[in-house]
Amino acid sequence: MSHSDRPFTKIHRIAATLLAAILVPLLGGWTQGPQSTFDTKGPVALSQLNLFYVTLWVTGIIFVLVAGVLTYATLKFKARTSADEHAEPPAQSHGNPLIELSLIAASVLALVVIAIPTLKAIWYTHDIPEDQQHLAYEVTATGYQWWFKFDYPAEQIDGVGTLSTANELVIPAGRPVRVNLRTVDVIHSFWVPKLAGKVDMIPNRGNFLWLQADEPGYFWGQCAEFCGESHAVMRFRVIALGEEDFANWVAAQKAAARTVDAPPPGTPIGTQLVSYEPMRPNAPGWTPEFDADPLASWTQLQEPADNEDAALIARGRQHFQEKACITCHTVRGHEGVGITGPELTHFGSRSTLAAGLLENTPRNLHRWLTAPNEVKPGNLMWFGRAMPGYMVRNAETGEWEQNFTVNDEEGHALVAYLNSLK
Amino acid sequence: MEATVKTDFIGKEEHPTADKRTWIFTRPTAKTGIVSWLTTVDHKRIGMLYGISALFFFLVGGFEALLIRIQLAVPNNTFLSAQLYNEMFTMHATTMIFLAVMPLSAAFFNYMMPLQIGARDVAFPRLNGFAFWVFLAGAIILNVGWFVKSGAPDIGWFGYAPLTSTAYSNQFAGDMSTDLWIIGLQILGVSSIVGSLNFIVTIINMRAPGMTMMRLPVFTWMTLFTAFLIILSFPAITIALVELMMDRNFSTNFFEVSGGGLPVLWQHLFWVFGHPEVYILILPAMGIISEILPTFSRKPLFGYPIVVFSGATIGFLGFGVWSHHMFTTGMGTIATAAFALATMAIAVPTGVKIFNWIGTLWGGHLMMRTPMLFALGFVWMFMFGGFSGIMHAAAPADAQQQDSYFVVAHFHYVLIGGSIFALLAGIHYWFPLIFGRKVSEFWGKLSFWVIFVGFNVTFFPMHFLGLNGMPRRTFTYDGNMGWNSANMVATVGALVLGVGMFIYFAVMVYTYFRGEKSGRDPWDGRTLEWSIPHPPPEHNFDVTPNVHARDAFWYEKHHQAEIAREKAEQAKQDEAHGGIHMPSQSWFPIITAAGMLTGALFFTNHIMIGAIAGLAIVFVSAWLWSLEGPGGYHLHPGQDHPDDHSKSGAKH
Repeated sequence: MSHSDRPFTKIHRIAATLLAAILVPLLGGWTQGPQSTFDTKGPVALSQLNLFYVTLWVTGIIFVLVAGVLTYATLKFKARTSADEHAEPPAQSHGNPLIELSLIAASVLALVVIAIPTLKAIWYTHDIPEDQQHLAYEVTATGYQWWFKFDYPAEQIDGVGTLSTANELVIPAGRPVRVNLRTVDVIHSFWVPKLAGKVDMIPNRGNFLWLQADEPGYFWGQCAEFCGESHAVMRFRVIALGEEDFANWVAAQKAAARTVDAPPPGTPIGTQLVSYEPMRPNAPGWTPEFDADPLASWTQLQEPADNEDAALIARGRQHFQEKACITCHTVRGHEGVGITGPELTHFGSRSTLAAGLLENTPRNLHRWLTAPNEVKPGNLMWFGRAMPGYMVRNAETGEWEQNFTVNDEEGHALVAYLNSLK
Repeated sequence: MEATVKTDFIGKEEHPTADKRTWIFTRPTAKTGIVSWLTTVDHKRIGMLYGISALFFFLVGGFEALLIRIQLAVPNNTFLSAQLYNEMFTMHATTMIFLAVMPLSAAFFNYMMPLQIGARDVAFPRLNGFAFWVFLAGAIILNVGWFVKSGAPDIGWFGYAPLTSTAYSNQFAGDMSTDLWIIGLQILGVSSIVGSLNFIVTIINMRAPGMTMMRLPVFTWMTLFTAFLIILSFPAITIALVELMMDRNFSTNFFEVSGGGLPVLWQHLFWVFGHPEVYILILPAMGIISEILPTFSRKPLFGYPIVVFSGATIGFLGFGVWSHHMFTTGMGTIATAAFALATMAIAVPTGVKIFNWIGTLWGGHLMMRTPMLFALGFVWMFMFGGFSGIMHAAAPADAQQQDSYFVVAHFHYVLIGGSIFALLAGIHYWFPLIFGRKVSEFWGKLSFWVIFVGFNVTFFPMHFLGLNGMPRRTFTYDGNMGWNSANMVATVGALVLGVGMFIYFAVMVYTYFRGEKSGRDPWDGRTLEWSIPHPPPEHNFDVTPNVHARDAFWYEKHHQAEIAREKAEQAKQDEAHGGIHMPSQSWFPIITAAGMLTGALFFTNHIMIGAIAGLAIVFVSAWLWSLEGPGGYHLHPGQDHPDDHSKSGAKH
């Protein structure tokens, strides 16, 4: 064994590489983020994470054993010199049934260790446990290309029907929530990594999942099944609130749209309209200020701003009617009656726009309204398919033609109006 | 029968001759030049055609991958539009699976399998040519979209209904991209099934004397299993594609939601094909590894019967695990549990192979040549892919991993670290046999290390991206998600991987023209393909080999006197039968395939008269093909014939 020292230095090198492969990601924050499955905030995600750790440990131990033997065999039996290479061939052995069968048995055993917790978790994560069913809160999530609608069957509004909202699902914290999953077009998938793994929304199929947020919080979610052009930007949020806050939120949402009293006719617009620069490529959709405490930022949005310009808002409400917005969007109590686009009755109280893509700031909203196609490719507000949008398709030529535009000033008015809808 | 045999086979001229028949049935006899390639029936030439096309599409798919990685290098990137990105990942997957890995495996099946079993060609040489030309037709149809207004297919390689419905197709123009995808895949299916039937018949019927099934080289075994997987699984996707085609063109309601169709049905049909497809991609790779490790360890494969039977078990179980691709479709507890357990079960025969490969190394003399490095790289990387596969089998954990970058990491470890590493190993390994030249060890090893490092730097971070909540098939992501650095690292890795691939192929091209001559049997091979001249003569074996053991050529080398006696005997017998019978070339395989291409292109443009014309070409040329007769001529390698290939007359 004149080479006995060499394998060890090599093994050290391999071990160092493996260690780096584990440490770099951990120290580099590769396991942390708003959609991290390691940082669970509810029992379903936790059960899934624990099962993942079981698989990680079992395969990790097998890896260390197999990789150790493989490394040893490679180093030990390697031909190192020309003499080694031209030596007589080694014994032409064909195998060893005893070793082979015991390795098969060992593999089966290792898999049983994974299989038992897997079966347990399949039943646990499938539906709310019997003893908690009475606590359950039910909502229905419906996928659209490319946004989410959320209905609250438990919250009925007199003369209207079920409470409905879009892109931000507000749930009570500390209670199991059953989410019915529906779609109106293609397959989507509902995924809030910190609360639960995903379940698909499939046409003609009544899927559901359950999740629970243990504490109040603001959670990121995203469509996880490829659903067409803007799949990547079909995002949403789940906001979990304490019992009282949730009740207040429901009450506020049940109310009709907030109306800022129109000023006397002829009142000039008092606000100095800023001119927004075009967005830079690679610009983030989100500000660090919001991220610092998203739940607090969200809560702030529930109250009307103090610098509202009634004249500008009135102008925006007028544009909202003229620009065909009302054919797809509902503003309960105002003019909008459409149902093919997201419900906007309390749009101003939401932290996101364009389905969780951008933070709901005046600048972002202005950009979204004046150039929707630049914000979210292929969106159906721009390409009106079911209903006329900014563009309509010429029935004869099949080509898309401009239907209407929203200019800079109109954009400002619409922003003021929509943000007044707290 | 008697008459046919007399006129066409025995006792006729030794050289390819034109029969006195009408021009349309005159068999082409060119041995060089473009016509010889277009009409070839030689399994080795067809293998090379497969190989060259596959490598071309491998580069195309790799280029698409690099564009994808550049787009994802930084958050909110605008390098590619959403539409183009969706086309890119759809075509990257479709290209790599159907136009790169499968045909590259088919190239080895074609070239090596007949040599390994001591045969002079496959059972149906013209059908073999047909399979290749049909493959090329399908490949062209799939890629035509890049050059037309409606763009390349953008529905994902899995084409989940109802996104494939006309209602959701590309909204900018009359859509044909999805139709191209549907027709292209159906035509590729024809090619795969035809080729596979040919391989099965060849392996069952054309083994040399003494080559019993349990003496077959493992690569040939894996060819057989893969061929069975193809003929059993492709019908499922063909049915699904035909139904989808009907939905799109003739208003049926298989998947049309508005008509009560069931989109989830598509997923079942697709994955009943799609999962065996995974094994179609990996079993040939396992076969190649099972050839290389024994050769470079200079000892037989450890536990040959178990390796063979585990291959069969994987193939069999592979048909019972498809719904693990659908754990998030709401199958309910019982079905989820059943498919989770079945998926774990398939880990056993897969693990067994790894154990046996390590057993093969144990006690050997490991010769660390480039093919061996790629083979060992395969074992390591495939192990990683296998372990993340077990994690997916735990269905509730998979609810977090499904459709995330964790899955992307997993299957690239299996398909690049697995299939591609093995195929690159195979190219290196068999290059001296095919071209008679040997790739430089320095450049070969360098390319291995660059590829190995680049590959891991690209795909290892993706495990973390997935578990950190990044969904796949997304053209962009925002900067606050904690995904920025891992994505940047992955993109840098992809560029390194690209450099590695460039080195690999540049060295191959250089070696083809200028490489060192390898001489016979440069690796001290164990199987029959190494027993013939490099490159092999058209008729492969001057004398049909007699097989006495597994690792037949190793046995020959260690029992030379006995084998020499036997060969002389066999040569006499062959000559008594009129020499070596060779199949004649034919125009009809390529004409029939051209009919398919024409018909398909017209059909996707909704010009039905053209589609019918294309179909007519297919039927007429297939009919004429059947009237053409089997043809054939004889070679006498033992005697001097001026027209003979000089190589074929070589004595050894």
